[in-house]
Amino acid sequence: MKRETDYGYALKSVYGPEDVAGFDYSRDLNDPGGYPYTRGYYPEGYRSRMWTQRMTAGLGTSVDANKVLKKYRDMGQVGGICVISDRVFSDCIDPDHPLGRREAGVLGWPGCSLLEFEEMMEDIPLTGQSITLLGSSAPSTLRLAYVVALAQKRGIDPSKIHGSVMESPFENYFGQTDVSPFDLNLKLFLDASEYVLRNKIRMRASIISQHFQESGGNSAQALAVNLSMVKEICGRLVNERGLDFDTTSLLPYELVSIGTRFFEEIAKMRALRRMYARMAREEFGAKTEKACQLLMAVHTSGRTMTYQQPLNNIARCAIQTLAGVIGGCSALDNATLDNAHSEPSALAARMSLNTQHIVAYESGAADVVDPLAGSYFVEALTNQVEEEGYKIYNEIQSMGGMVAALKRGFIQEMLSAEAAKKFREIDNKERLVVGVNHLVIPPEDDFEIPIQEVHSQDSEKIADRMAQWKPTRDQALLNATIAQLYADARKDDRFNLMPSIIEAVKAYATVGEVMGVIRKGRGLSYDPFEMIECPFTFE
Amino acid sequence: MLKGKGIKVIVSMIGLDGHTTGGEIVARVLRDAGFEVIYLGATQTPEMILQAAIQEDVDVIGISSHASNYLQIEYLVELLRKNGMADVPVICGGNIPKHVANQLKGRGVAEVFPPGSPSSDIVGYIVENARGARRRSA
Amino acid sequence: MDVNGEDGAVVGALGSGDIRTCARIISRVERGDPGIVSLLRALYRAGGCSRVVGVTGPPGAGKSSLVSQLIRVWRKRGLNVAVLAVDPSSPFSGGAVLGDRLRMAEHSCDDRVFIRSMASRGQLGGLTKAAGDALTVLDAMPWDMVVVETVGVGQNETDIIRHAEVVVLVQTPMGGDDIQAAKAGINEIGDIYVVNKGDHPEANRTCRQLRDMITLGQHLNPDSSWTPPVIKTQSLLGEGVEELADQIECRFENLRTNPEVASRRARERVRHRTAEIIRDMLDRRLRSEDGQLVETVIDSVVARESDPYALAESLLATMTSRV
Repeated sequence: MKRETDYGYALKSVYGPEDVAGFDYSRDLNDPGGYPYTRGYYPEGYRSRMWTQRMTAGLGTSVDANKVLKKYRDMGQVGGICVISDRVFSDCIDPDHPLGRREAGVLGWPGCSLLEFEEMMEDIPLTGQSITLLGSSAPSTLRLAYVVALAQKRGIDPSKIHGSVMESPFENYFGQTDVSPFDLNLKLFLDASEYVLRNKIRMRASIISQHFQESGGNSAQALAVNLSMVKEICGRLVNERGLDFDTTSLLPYELVSIGTRFFEEIAKMRALRRMYARMAREEFGAKTEKACQLLMAVHTSGRTMTYQQPLNNIARCAIQTLAGVIGGCSALDNATLDNAHSEPSALAARMSLNTQHIVAYESGAADVVDPLAGSYFVEALTNQVEEEGYKIYNEIQSMGGMVAALKRGFIQEMLSAEAAKKFREIDNKERLVVGVNHLVIPPEDDFEIPIQEVHSQDSEKIADRMAQWKPTRDQALLNATIAQLYADARKDDRFNLMPSIIEAVKAYATVGEVMGVIRKGRGLSYDPFEMIECPFTFE
Repeated sequence: MLKGKGIKVIVSMIGLDGHTTGGEIVARVLRDAGFEVIYLGATQTPEMILQAAIQEDVDVIGISSHASNYLQIEYLVELLRKNGMADVPVICGGNIPKHVANQLKGRGVAEVFPPGSPSSDIVGYIVENARGARRRSA
Repeated sequence: MDVNGEDGAVVGALGSGDIRTCARIISRVERGDPGIVSLLRALYRAGGCSRVVGVTGPPGAGKSSLVSQLIRVWRKRGLNVAVLAVDPSSPFSGGAVLGDRLRMAEHSCDDRVFIRSMASRGQLGGLTKAAGDALTVLDAMPWDMVVVETVGVGQNETDIIRHAEVVVLVQTPMGGDDIQAAKAGINEIGDIYVVNKGDHPEANRTCRQLRDMITLGQHLNPDSSWTPPVIKTQSLLGEGVEELADQIECRFENLRTNPEVASRRARERVRHRTAEIIRDMLDRRLRSEDGQLVETVIDSVVARESDPYALAESLLATMTSRV
């Protein structure tokens, strides 16, 4: 069995003062709330602000999703809602598309028009809690447009809303593929980002290492990739869109994937705060304290949730949640014990939320800020993962940054090699996973857990509803907004499409229509799958 | 190790499933075991997979499934049957719940490998059950 | 030549465009099935109606995406297309991951398009022979265009591309040193040069440098009727691909009106193909009964009582006496 960190550094049996030689408290750590924020952003930690405890919702119809959100609220989910989209919305086609018909509502919320968002948000406030909509990068502008449109309809000032609806285009390389080309995703992501920053809407954008790490990347690589992504996006907003760095620093949030290697995970979070703060100050000349602070949420790792003996996952989830909390996070959501089987069942969701509540209220971990600071082991790990992370970060920068490194295939190769290595290590039992390659029991002796049913017959229902609803829209308004969007989409890269997308969305244009017309305006086919024709005609 | 020598396998996601990590790892594992892997990638319709199976004359079809769109897998099996390709076994991997796995097997899927399956199980199964293997021994 | 009934049926099926038969015959070719020679002979005689285009270039040049876009243009022009995507890079295990099909996915449900991947299986006779056989199969079918696509590095791949009538060499925008390196093969095999990823800042410079080199080398080119054009493409958006299709068309037309050049090239292809077949035959013999002969005298060569030259000569004499 290997005794080394996730990123391949040998572990010693005991750590002492020699492992943190040259340690300088105020330079390396400082008090919580002080640069470089290794110990966190708040002097009082969770005493001043408890992390947002949330679960991800979304399955079946929008009405179903609405019910689940209300139920989570009753289960004690405070602070925010989090909804994941189905694959149809993520691929920017409509449920009545031939491919949409088979999968609408199967893996998440079928949010293909403003109508669906209105139904899902019925009796749920847009303000006073964070609104998080997950999916893929491609429909980021649509998700933002829904929030802005609904706010306007409800007479709410959009700047009173906070949350996160945009996802970075990098996800497509981290095992979360959608069908839109990278350059288009990047352009639309920058449009949406510029729009929220200029209009002071407190919507964060996910520029996250979670999917990278869940696809098999290691902790040091995750740090390098996260910093490189943030640097690329902020750099483009500064250089191409004319924003100053302190403004753009309000955009990104990081979702850290936290696995079971308890101390390493805590070290990773501490290192990331320090590395980000240095990048902000030294590379971008950040002026404010706030601009040196990267908002960090935690997702406990789905890939560590085993299929075999799923009840063991309760223990894994508890260790990971505790690590995420000690590492310091602003929000946390858990992979559930049935993650390797299906979508979260009600029981699994409650179990996970309760895990958070137990850590929050029973463990005492929320009472003291950064309790492991000064531990020889944890400080050494923090330095190590930072050092290894910087090596990779510098390599990416020497290639010209994240986009250049992706176009050269460097990131993909690094990830794929590491994922294969991780698989091999488990296959060869160099790393032990209880119930999988160690202490295995016959499948028939395993506990049965409740499994969330997926009702695929709902797909047709969702599709039919959309097909019947489409002709009932105000066609004149729809055509006018679509024509404007098409005209704007043909303009140069930096022309922001958000305003015309919002108008089209308010006229109930669907995601297939909005993205189709943008694609067409930019020389691509209307339908990414080339199965349906563009229903609009242009001059 | 050349267990897979001469055996041609499709590895694909199905339908709108964009989760490519599992499929990529399996493709690599099979390659290292000597198989010839036709990697189709994400967003493949059952019709596309059928055509690839015919044109590439493959011995096994492996579907990596992480999007709960099991109807698509059933549809693929049905398409293969209708097109005289029922002798090409379809195997699946991914987070597929046990009762769905049993249901899929009832509808013609040859085997379902849950997450955490050792590569030796997958390789061994394909070597035993691939169309080419049966063809050679016949 | 007499064609037996079974082979005749296959030739007929392929002639009417039967895709399944085609797929299965190519599998037999890949396995190095010795029983297929009589069929291949019949197919060669029945074939020759397709236009065979070779597409080659360094890894990552975007060849497959470009071929995908070419198929799109040809399909719009009403042409049927078959693609043989050859991947010679296999690791030690002998296994391979073939991903070219992934980049041609948009055509996978079009029954007028056939795509077949081929890897090195370490098969008898090598990949070049197998690719040549597969092209013989495709060429005996009603495909208007047959594309053979392969990575352009090393001898093996250059040999594969020699099966094609017209060769497209794909480059990416690059710096001066790389251009120098690419120079070696230029004019030797390329009929048309493509600089893909044409939105790259270096694209125009690369085009210019390629044109300069073609002009410089033109006096060495035995074919004065054709100066290889350089085309800038962007395979993602399909830009420049219509022009590429036009130039391929032009080259075929140019060869039609220059029968001397065309015939010289055709004869060169036959020479190349025949040499491949001879190598394959010798290889098979060496691995079978003649291999035994090697074993009986090999120790005397090791002991330097004999030598490999003498061994080779006696082997060849034995083989030819038994033909």
